[in-house]
Amino acid sequence: MRVMKTPNSVDLNITNRCNLRCSYCSHFSSESDSGTDLTTEEWLHFFGELKDCTVLDVCLCGGEPLFRKDFKELVDGVVKNRMRFSVLSNGTLINDDIIEYLKSTKRCSSFQVSIDGPGPEEHDIFRGKGTFEKALAGLKCLMRHDMPATVRVTIHKHNVKSLERVAELLLEDVGLPSFSTNNAGHMGLCRENEADVQLTADEYSEAMGKLAMLNKKYNGRIGAQAGPLASVKGWQEMEDAKKQGKAEISGCGYLRSCGGVFSKMAVLADGTMVPCGQLSHIKLGNIKKDSLREVWINHPELQRLRERRDMPLDNFEYCKDCGYIPYCRGGCPALAYTITGDENKPSPDACYRAFLESGGKLPEVN
Amino acid sequence: MAECINSSKCPVQNPEVVFREEFDDWAVLFDPDTGETYGLDPVSAFVWKKLDGKHSIKEILSELAKACKDGVPDEAPKDVTEFVEDLTSKGLVGYKE
Repeated sequence: MRVMKTPNSVDLNITNRCNLRCSYCSHFSSESDSGTDLTTEEWLHFFGELKDCTVLDVCLCGGEPLFRKDFKELVDGVVKNRMRFSVLSNGTLINDDIIEYLKSTKRCSSFQVSIDGPGPEEHDIFRGKGTFEKALAGLKCLMRHDMPATVRVTIHKHNVKSLERVAELLLEDVGLPSFSTNNAGHMGLCRENEADVQLTADEYSEAMGKLAMLNKKYNGRIGAQAGPLASVKGWQEMEDAKKQGKAEISGCGYLRSCGGVFSKMAVLADGTMVPCGQLSHIKLGNIKKDSLREVWINHPELQRLRERRDMPLDNFEYCKDCGYIPYCRGGCPALAYTITGDENKPSPDACYRAFLESGGKLPEVN
Repeated sequence: MAECINSSKCPVQNPEVVFREEFDDWAVLFDPDTGETYGLDPVSAFVWKKLDGKHSIKEILSELAKACKDGVPDEAPKDVTEFVEDLTSKGLVGYKE
Protein backbone atom coordinates (compact mmCIF):
# COMPACT_ATOMS: atom_id res chain seq x y z
CA MET A 1 0.00 0.00 0.00
CA ARG A 2 1.46 3.32 -0.98
CA VAL A 3 2.13 6.07 1.50
CA MET A 4 0.78 9.54 0.84
CA LYS A 5 3.38 12.32 0.64
CA THR A 6 1.92 13.82 3.79
CA PRO A 7 -0.92 12.73 6.09
CA ASN A 8 -4.28 13.98 4.88
CA SER A 9 -5.73 13.99 8.38
CA VAL A 10 -4.29 14.58 11.86
CA ASP A 11 -5.82 13.97 15.28
CA LEU A 12 -4.91 16.73 17.71
CA ASN A 13 -5.12 16.29 21.48
CA ILE A 14 -5.38 20.05 21.94
CA THR A 15 -5.42 19.63 25.69
CA ASN A 16 -4.49 17.02 28.23
CA ARG A 17 -7.06 18.40 30.65
CA CYS A 18 -10.64 17.34 31.16
CA ASN A 19 -13.39 18.27 33.57
CA LEU A 20 -14.25 14.58 34.00
CA ARG A 21 -12.44 11.40 34.96
CA CYS A 22 -14.48 8.65 33.35
CA SER A 23 -13.63 5.24 34.79
CA TYR A 24 -12.85 3.71 31.43
CA CYS A 25 -11.11 6.64 29.78
CA SER A 26 -8.48 5.41 27.36
CA HIS A 27 -6.54 8.68 27.69
CA PHE A 28 -5.81 9.21 31.38
CA SER A 29 -3.02 7.09 32.85
CA SER A 30 -2.10 5.94 29.35
CA GLU A 31 0.93 7.07 27.35
CA SER A 32 -1.18 9.78 25.71
CA ASP A 33 -1.58 11.43 29.12
CA SER A 34 1.23 13.85 28.40
CA GLY A 35 0.77 16.11 31.42
CA THR A 36 1.32 19.48 29.75
CA ASP A 37 -0.43 21.52 27.08
CA LEU A 38 1.06 23.48 24.21
CA THR A 39 0.51 27.22 24.17
CA THR A 40 -1.89 28.90 21.77
CA GLU A 41 1.03 30.18 19.70
CA GLU A 42 2.61 26.75 19.46
CA TRP A 43 -0.60 25.23 18.11
CA LEU A 44 -1.19 28.10 15.69
CA HIS A 45 2.33 27.81 14.37
CA PHE A 46 1.81 24.07 13.84
CA PHE A 47 -1.43 24.69 11.96
CA GLY A 48 0.65 26.64 9.47
CA GLU A 49 2.83 23.58 9.02
CA LEU A 50 -0.29 21.47 8.50
CA LYS A 51 -1.36 23.88 5.79
CA ASP A 52 2.02 23.58 4.07
CA CYS A 53 1.57 19.80 4.18
CA THR A 54 -1.94 20.17 2.66
CA VAL A 55 -3.56 18.35 5.56
CA LEU A 56 -7.27 18.51 4.82
CA ASP A 57 -8.84 17.97 8.19
CA VAL A 58 -8.08 17.66 11.87
CA CYS A 59 -9.90 16.05 14.76
CA LEU A 60 -9.88 18.18 17.89
CA CYS A 61 -9.81 15.95 20.95
CA GLY A 62 -8.06 15.64 24.27
CA GLY A 63 -8.79 15.48 27.21
CA GLU A 64 -11.83 17.64 26.67
CA PRO A 65 -11.20 20.10 23.81
CA LEU A 66 -13.75 22.65 25.05
CA PHE A 67 -11.76 22.90 28.26
CA ARG A 68 -9.30 25.16 26.50
CA LYS A 69 -10.03 28.83 27.05
CA ASP A 70 -8.54 29.60 23.63
CA PHE A 71 -10.70 27.00 21.85
CA LYS A 72 -12.20 29.54 19.45
CA GLU A 73 -8.78 30.97 18.68
CA LEU A 74 -7.47 27.52 17.85
CA VAL A 75 -10.45 26.80 15.62
CA ASP A 76 -9.83 30.15 13.91
CA GLY A 77 -6.31 28.93 13.24
CA VAL A 78 -7.59 25.70 11.71
CA VAL A 79 -9.98 27.63 9.49
CA LYS A 80 -7.36 30.18 8.37
CA ASN A 81 -5.12 27.30 7.34
CA ARG A 82 -7.77 25.92 5.00
CA MET A 83 -8.72 22.83 6.96
CA ARG A 84 -11.95 21.30 8.16
CA PHE A 85 -12.32 19.92 11.66
CA SER A 86 -14.30 17.55 13.78
CA VAL A 87 -14.61 17.53 17.57
CA LEU A 88 -14.72 14.69 20.10
CA SER A 89 -16.26 15.89 23.36
CA ASN A 90 -17.92 14.70 26.55
CA GLY A 91 -20.60 17.28 25.71
CA THR A 92 -20.83 18.77 29.20
CA LEU A 93 -19.20 22.12 28.34
CA ILE A 94 -21.23 22.87 25.24
CA ASN A 95 -23.09 26.18 25.18
CA ASP A 96 -24.95 28.21 22.55
CA ASP A 97 -22.10 30.69 22.14
CA ILE A 98 -19.52 28.06 21.22
CA ILE A 99 -21.86 26.22 18.91
CA GLU A 100 -22.97 29.39 17.10
CA TYR A 101 -19.32 30.21 16.59
CA LEU A 102 -18.50 26.72 15.27
CA LYS A 103 -21.44 26.88 12.91
CA SER A 104 -20.29 30.23 11.57
CA THR A 105 -16.97 28.70 10.47
CA LYS A 106 -18.74 26.34 8.04
CA ARG A 107 -15.84 23.98 8.60
CA CYS A 108 -17.18 21.59 11.23
CA SER A 109 -17.61 18.13 9.74
CA SER A 110 -18.92 16.53 12.90
CA PHE A 111 -19.23 17.09 16.63
CA GLN A 112 -19.29 13.88 18.64
CA VAL A 113 -20.76 13.73 22.12
CA SER A 114 -20.35 10.75 24.42
CA ILE A 115 -23.61 9.40 25.82
CA ASP A 116 -23.63 5.99 27.44
CA GLY A 117 -27.17 5.39 28.52
CA PRO A 118 -30.84 6.26 28.24
CA GLY A 119 -30.54 8.09 31.54
CA PRO A 120 -28.27 9.09 34.42
CA GLU A 121 -28.18 5.63 35.95
CA GLU A 122 -26.20 4.09 33.11
CA HIS A 123 -24.23 7.16 32.08
CA ASP A 124 -23.25 8.84 35.34
CA ILE A 125 -22.00 5.67 37.01
CA PHE A 126 -18.67 5.92 35.20
CA ARG A 127 -18.70 9.55 34.13
CA GLY A 128 -19.82 11.38 37.23
CA LYS A 129 -23.01 12.66 38.79
CA GLY A 130 -24.95 15.07 36.66
CA THR A 131 -22.99 14.39 33.48
CA PHE A 132 -25.83 12.70 31.61
CA GLU A 133 -28.09 15.74 31.84
CA LYS A 134 -25.28 18.04 30.77
CA ALA A 135 -24.23 15.82 27.86
CA LEU A 136 -27.83 15.47 26.67
CA ALA A 137 -28.30 19.24 26.94
CA GLY A 138 -25.12 19.67 24.92
CA LEU A 139 -26.37 17.27 22.28
CA LYS A 140 -29.71 19.07 22.06
CA CYS A 141 -27.87 22.37 21.72
CA LEU A 142 -26.03 20.96 18.70
CA MET A 143 -29.29 19.74 17.18
CA ARG A 144 -30.97 23.10 17.82
CA HIS A 145 -28.24 24.79 15.81
CA ASP A 146 -28.50 22.21 13.06
CA MET A 147 -24.92 21.08 13.57
CA PRO A 148 -23.62 17.72 12.31
CA ALA A 149 -23.95 16.01 15.70
CA THR A 150 -22.99 12.44 16.33
CA VAL A 151 -22.96 10.32 19.48
CA ARG A 152 -20.61 7.60 20.64
CA VAL A 153 -22.09 5.06 23.01
CA THR A 154 -19.41 3.16 24.91
CA ILE A 155 -20.80 -0.17 25.99
CA HIS A 156 -19.90 -1.48 29.42
CA LYS A 157 -21.23 -3.69 32.17
CA HIS A 158 -23.81 -1.21 33.35
CA ASN A 159 -25.44 -0.24 30.09
CA VAL A 160 -25.37 -3.46 28.11
CA LYS A 161 -28.92 -4.23 29.21
CA SER A 162 -30.18 -0.77 28.24
CA LEU A 163 -29.15 -0.66 24.59
CA GLU A 164 -32.72 -0.69 23.30
CA ARG A 165 -33.57 2.37 25.37
CA VAL A 166 -30.37 4.13 24.31
CA ALA A 167 -31.26 3.61 20.67
CA GLU A 168 -34.79 4.85 21.27
CA LEU A 169 -33.52 7.96 23.05
CA LEU A 170 -30.97 8.88 20.41
CA LEU A 171 -32.71 7.85 17.20
CA GLU A 172 -36.34 8.58 18.10
CA ASP A 173 -36.51 11.10 20.96
CA VAL A 174 -33.51 13.22 20.02
CA GLY A 175 -33.80 12.39 16.32
CA LEU A 176 -30.15 11.74 15.47
CA PRO A 177 -29.64 10.26 12.02
CA SER A 178 -27.24 7.72 13.52
CA PHE A 179 -24.89 6.96 16.38
CA SER A 180 -21.79 4.82 16.78
CA THR A 181 -20.74 2.27 19.36
CA ASN A 182 -17.67 0.69 20.85
CA ASN A 183 -17.01 -1.17 24.07
CA ALA A 184 -14.85 0.01 26.93
CA GLY A 185 -11.47 -1.34 25.93
CA HIS A 186 -8.36 -2.33 27.78
CA MET A 187 -6.59 1.01 27.68
CA GLY A 188 -5.91 3.83 30.11
CA LEU A 189 -8.10 4.04 33.20
CA CYS A 190 -10.14 1.09 31.98
CA ARG A 191 -7.23 -1.17 32.84
CA GLU A 192 -7.43 -0.14 36.47
CA ASN A 193 -11.20 -0.60 36.56
CA GLU A 194 -11.59 -3.65 34.37
CA ALA A 195 -13.60 -5.73 36.76
CA ASP A 196 -16.22 -2.99 37.16
CA VAL A 197 -16.33 -1.85 33.56
CA GLN A 198 -15.41 -4.45 30.99
CA LEU A 199 -17.87 -6.79 29.37
CA THR A 200 -17.55 -10.49 30.07
CA ALA A 201 -17.66 -12.84 27.08
CA ASP A 202 -21.36 -13.45 27.73
CA GLU A 203 -22.06 -9.75 27.98
CA TYR A 204 -20.13 -9.11 24.79
CA SER A 205 -22.26 -11.73 23.02
CA GLU A 206 -25.36 -10.13 24.46
CA ALA A 207 -24.26 -6.73 23.16
CA MET A 208 -23.55 -8.21 19.75
CA GLY A 209 -27.03 -9.69 19.50
CA LYS A 210 -28.83 -6.60 20.69
CA LEU A 211 -26.90 -4.22 18.48
CA ALA A 212 -27.39 -6.40 15.43
CA MET A 213 -31.12 -6.51 16.10
CA LEU A 214 -31.33 -2.78 16.77
CA ASN A 215 -29.30 -1.93 13.69
CA LYS A 216 -31.75 -3.92 11.63
CA LYS A 217 -34.72 -2.30 13.35
CA TYR A 218 -33.32 1.16 12.70
CA ASN A 219 -32.24 0.47 9.13
CA GLY A 220 -28.50 0.70 9.55
CA ARG A 221 -28.43 3.82 11.69
CA ILE A 222 -26.05 2.32 14.23
CA GLY A 223 -22.37 2.26 13.28
CA ALA A 224 -19.21 0.75 14.64
CA GLN A 225 -15.57 0.67 13.65
CA ALA A 226 -14.76 -1.57 16.61
CA GLY A 227 -16.54 -3.29 19.45
CA PRO A 228 -19.52 -5.65 19.51
CA LEU A 229 -21.37 -4.43 16.41
CA ALA A 230 -18.19 -4.34 14.32
CA SER A 231 -17.44 -7.86 15.54
CA VAL A 232 -20.85 -9.05 14.35
CA LYS A 233 -20.20 -7.72 10.87
CA GLY A 234 -16.59 -8.79 10.65
CA TRP A 235 -16.96 -12.22 12.18
CA GLN A 236 -20.12 -12.99 10.22
CA GLU A 237 -18.23 -12.20 7.05
CA MET A 238 -15.46 -14.58 8.15
CA GLU A 239 -17.92 -17.33 9.04
CA ASP A 240 -19.77 -16.96 5.74
CA ALA A 241 -16.54 -17.06 3.75
CA LYS A 242 -15.42 -20.22 5.56
CA LYS A 243 -18.77 -21.93 5.06
CA GLN A 244 -18.74 -21.05 1.38
CA GLY A 245 -15.30 -22.58 1.10
CA LYS A 246 -13.72 -19.38 -0.17
CA ALA A 247 -9.96 -19.59 -0.45
CA GLU A 248 -9.62 -16.19 1.19
CA ILE A 249 -11.16 -12.78 1.60
CA SER A 250 -9.09 -10.33 -0.39
CA GLY A 251 -6.50 -8.54 1.73
CA CYS A 252 -6.80 -10.96 4.64
CA GLY A 253 -4.35 -13.38 6.11
CA TYR A 254 -1.99 -10.62 7.19
CA LEU A 255 -1.86 -7.91 9.86
CA ARG A 256 -3.91 -5.50 7.75
CA SER A 257 -6.61 -4.19 10.07
CA CYS A 258 -5.08 -0.77 10.40
CA GLY A 259 -4.53 1.49 7.43
CA GLY A 260 -4.15 4.59 9.59
CA VAL A 261 -0.40 4.88 9.24
CA PHE A 262 -0.80 5.40 5.51
CA SER A 263 -2.98 8.49 5.75
CA LYS A 264 -3.07 9.95 9.24
CA MET A 265 -1.14 10.76 12.38
CA ALA A 266 -1.77 12.18 15.81
CA VAL A 267 -0.26 14.84 18.05
CA LEU A 268 -0.49 14.75 21.84
CA ALA A 269 -1.21 17.75 24.03
CA ASP A 270 2.50 18.45 24.61
CA GLY A 271 3.29 18.32 20.89
CA THR A 272 4.56 14.72 20.75
CA MET A 273 3.85 13.19 17.36
CA VAL A 274 2.55 9.61 17.50
CA PRO A 275 1.13 7.27 14.85
CA CYS A 276 -2.26 7.26 16.58
CA GLY A 277 -3.62 8.42 19.91
CA GLN A 278 -3.87 4.77 20.97
CA LEU A 279 -0.23 4.05 20.06
CA SER A 280 1.19 6.86 22.17
CA HIS A 281 4.09 4.75 23.40
CA ILE A 282 5.59 5.16 19.92
CA LYS A 283 6.96 8.68 20.05
CA LEU A 284 7.99 10.01 16.67
CA GLY A 285 9.16 13.47 17.61
CA ASN A 286 7.74 16.78 18.76
CA ILE A 287 6.14 19.47 16.65
CA LYS A 288 8.20 22.11 18.46
CA LYS A 289 11.40 20.85 16.89
CA ASP A 290 10.69 18.17 14.29
CA SER A 291 9.24 18.42 10.79
CA LEU A 292 5.91 16.65 10.35
CA ARG A 293 6.70 15.92 6.71
CA GLU A 294 10.12 14.52 7.56
CA VAL A 295 8.73 12.31 10.33
CA TRP A 296 5.89 11.12 8.12
CA ILE A 297 8.18 9.99 5.32
CA ASN A 298 11.29 8.84 7.13
CA HIS A 299 10.66 7.83 10.71
CA PRO A 300 11.69 4.16 11.12
CA GLU A 301 8.89 3.44 13.60
CA LEU A 302 6.27 4.51 11.08
CA GLN A 303 7.99 2.44 8.43
CA ARG A 304 7.88 -0.51 10.80
CA LEU A 305 4.16 -0.07 11.42
CA ARG A 306 3.52 0.18 7.69
CA GLU A 307 5.31 -3.14 7.24
CA ARG A 308 2.78 -4.88 9.49
CA ARG A 309 0.63 -5.55 6.47
CA ASP A 310 3.29 -7.86 5.06
CA MET A 311 3.27 -10.08 8.18
CA PRO A 312 1.37 -13.30 7.51
CA LEU A 313 -0.89 -14.37 10.36
CA ASP A 314 0.25 -17.96 10.06
CA ASN A 315 3.69 -16.86 11.26
CA PHE A 316 2.26 -16.19 14.72
CA GLU A 317 2.08 -18.87 17.38
CA TYR A 318 -1.25 -17.39 18.54
CA CYS A 319 -2.82 -18.07 15.12
CA LYS A 320 -1.45 -21.57 14.75
CA ASP A 321 -3.87 -24.02 13.14
CA CYS A 322 -6.61 -21.41 12.90
CA GLY A 323 -9.03 -22.10 10.07
CA TYR A 324 -10.03 -18.44 9.87
CA ILE A 325 -6.60 -17.07 8.93
CA PRO A 326 -7.53 -16.50 5.25
CA TYR A 327 -10.43 -14.29 6.35
CA CYS A 328 -8.78 -12.40 9.21
CA ARG A 329 -6.84 -9.10 9.36
CA GLY A 330 -5.47 -9.44 12.87
CA GLY A 331 -7.26 -6.62 14.70
CA CYS A 332 -6.18 -3.28 16.10
CA PRO A 333 -2.42 -2.87 16.68
CA ALA A 334 -3.08 -0.65 19.69
CA LEU A 335 -5.12 -3.36 21.38
CA ALA A 336 -2.50 -5.92 20.38
CA TYR A 337 0.10 -3.79 22.15
CA THR A 338 -2.09 -3.18 25.22
CA ILE A 339 -2.87 -6.86 25.66
CA THR A 340 0.32 -8.58 24.48
CA GLY A 341 2.97 -5.87 24.73
CA ASP A 342 3.64 -5.96 20.99
CA GLU A 343 1.75 -4.05 18.33
CA ASN A 344 3.16 -6.36 15.66
CA LYS A 345 1.02 -9.26 16.76
CA PRO A 346 -2.62 -10.12 16.23
CA SER A 347 -4.94 -8.73 18.87
CA PRO A 348 -6.58 -11.39 21.07
CA ASP A 349 -9.44 -8.94 21.46
CA ALA A 350 -10.33 -9.33 17.78
CA CYS A 351 -9.94 -13.09 17.61
CA TYR A 352 -13.01 -14.90 16.33
CA ARG A 353 -11.61 -18.32 17.22
CA ALA A 354 -11.04 -17.19 20.81
CA PHE A 355 -14.60 -15.86 20.89
CA LEU A 356 -15.98 -19.22 19.75
CA GLU A 357 -13.77 -21.17 22.13
CA SER A 358 -15.01 -19.08 25.05
CA GLY A 359 -18.56 -20.10 24.21
CA GLY A 360 -19.49 -17.10 22.10
CA LYS A 361 -22.01 -17.42 19.28
CA LEU A 362 -22.83 -15.11 16.45
CA PRO A 363 -26.30 -13.64 16.86
CA GLU A 364 -29.12 -14.71 14.61
CA VAL A 365 -31.01 -11.66 13.48
CA ASN A 366 -34.44 -12.25 11.92
CA MET B 1 -15.70 28.23 -26.89
CA ALA B 2 -13.48 29.93 -29.49
CA GLU B 3 -14.15 33.15 -27.61
CA CYS B 4 -12.89 31.55 -24.36
CA ILE B 5 -9.74 30.16 -25.92
CA ASN B 6 -8.84 33.45 -27.54
CA SER B 7 -9.71 35.55 -24.54
CA SER B 8 -6.88 37.37 -22.83
CA LYS B 9 -8.54 36.89 -19.45
CA CYS B 10 -6.42 34.89 -17.04
CA PRO B 11 -8.22 32.47 -14.73
CA VAL B 12 -7.04 32.38 -11.12
CA GLN B 13 -7.40 29.74 -8.41
CA ASN B 14 -9.66 30.42 -5.45
CA PRO B 15 -7.02 30.88 -2.71
CA GLU B 16 -9.16 28.98 -0.20
CA VAL B 17 -9.07 25.81 -2.28
CA VAL B 18 -6.43 23.26 -1.35
CA PHE B 19 -4.43 21.53 -4.07
CA ARG B 20 -3.08 18.30 -2.68
CA GLU B 21 -0.73 16.21 -4.75
CA GLU B 22 -1.12 12.47 -4.51
CA PHE B 23 0.55 9.61 -6.35
CA ASP B 24 1.95 9.62 -9.89
CA ASP B 25 1.17 13.32 -10.55
CA TRP B 26 -2.51 12.87 -9.70
CA ALA B 27 -3.97 15.41 -7.32
CA VAL B 28 -7.04 16.38 -5.38
CA LEU B 29 -8.78 19.74 -5.10
CA PHE B 30 -10.39 20.26 -1.73
CA ASP B 31 -12.91 22.96 -0.92
CA PRO B 32 -12.72 23.29 2.87
CA ASP B 33 -16.01 25.18 3.06
CA THR B 34 -18.02 22.37 1.55
CA GLY B 35 -15.73 19.40 2.15
CA GLU B 36 -16.04 18.52 -1.53
CA THR B 37 -13.04 16.93 -3.22
CA TYR B 38 -12.32 16.71 -6.93
CA GLY B 39 -9.80 14.31 -8.43
CA LEU B 40 -7.37 15.66 -10.99
CA ASP B 41 -5.47 13.53 -13.44
CA PRO B 42 -1.91 14.65 -14.31
CA VAL B 43 -3.05 16.86 -17.19
CA SER B 44 -5.75 18.56 -15.10
CA ALA B 45 -3.23 19.01 -12.30
CA PHE B 46 -0.84 20.64 -14.75
CA VAL B 47 -3.56 23.01 -15.94
CA TRP B 48 -4.58 23.83 -12.36
CA LYS B 49 -1.06 24.90 -11.52
CA LYS B 50 -1.18 27.39 -14.39
CA LEU B 51 -4.36 29.02 -13.15
CA ASP B 52 -2.34 31.73 -11.44
CA GLY B 53 -3.93 34.82 -12.93
CA LYS B 54 -1.00 35.20 -15.32
CA HIS B 55 -1.87 32.67 -18.02
CA SER B 56 -4.71 32.84 -20.50
CA ILE B 57 -6.26 29.57 -21.65
CA LYS B 58 -4.43 29.90 -24.95
CA GLU B 59 -1.11 30.25 -23.13
CA ILE B 60 -1.91 27.28 -20.91
CA LEU B 61 -2.63 25.15 -23.98
CA SER B 62 0.67 26.24 -25.47
CA GLU B 63 2.56 25.25 -22.32
CA LEU B 64 0.69 21.97 -22.14
CA ALA B 65 1.71 21.16 -25.71
CA LYS B 66 5.36 21.82 -24.85
CA ALA B 67 5.13 19.64 -21.72
CA CYS B 68 3.58 16.65 -23.49
CA LYS B 69 6.16 14.51 -25.23
CA ASP B 70 3.76 13.42 -27.97
CA GLY B 71 1.92 16.72 -28.26
CA VAL B 72 -1.74 17.19 -27.35
CA PRO B 73 -4.80 15.64 -28.98
CA ASP B 74 -7.16 17.74 -31.11
CA GLU B 75 -9.74 17.81 -28.32
CA ALA B 76 -7.33 19.49 -25.93
CA PRO B 77 -8.61 23.09 -26.43
CA LYS B 78 -12.21 21.97 -25.88
CA ASP B 79 -11.30 19.77 -22.90
CA VAL B 80 -9.18 22.40 -21.19
CA THR B 81 -11.80 25.10 -21.75
CA GLU B 82 -14.57 22.91 -20.38
CA PHE B 83 -12.38 21.98 -17.42
CA VAL B 84 -11.76 25.62 -16.55
CA GLU B 85 -15.44 26.46 -17.05
CA ASP B 86 -16.39 23.60 -14.74
CA LEU B 87 -13.98 24.84 -12.08
CA THR B 88 -15.42 28.34 -12.47
CA SER B 89 -18.98 27.11 -12.08
CA LYS B 90 -17.98 25.38 -8.84
CA GLY B 91 -16.36 28.53 -7.47
CA LEU B 92 -12.89 27.00 -7.52
CA VAL B 93 -11.62 29.43 -10.13
CA GLY B 94 -12.34 33.08 -10.90
CA TYR B 95 -11.05 35.86 -13.06
CA LYS B 96 -9.05 38.92 -12.14
CA GLU B 97 -10.67 42.20 -13.09
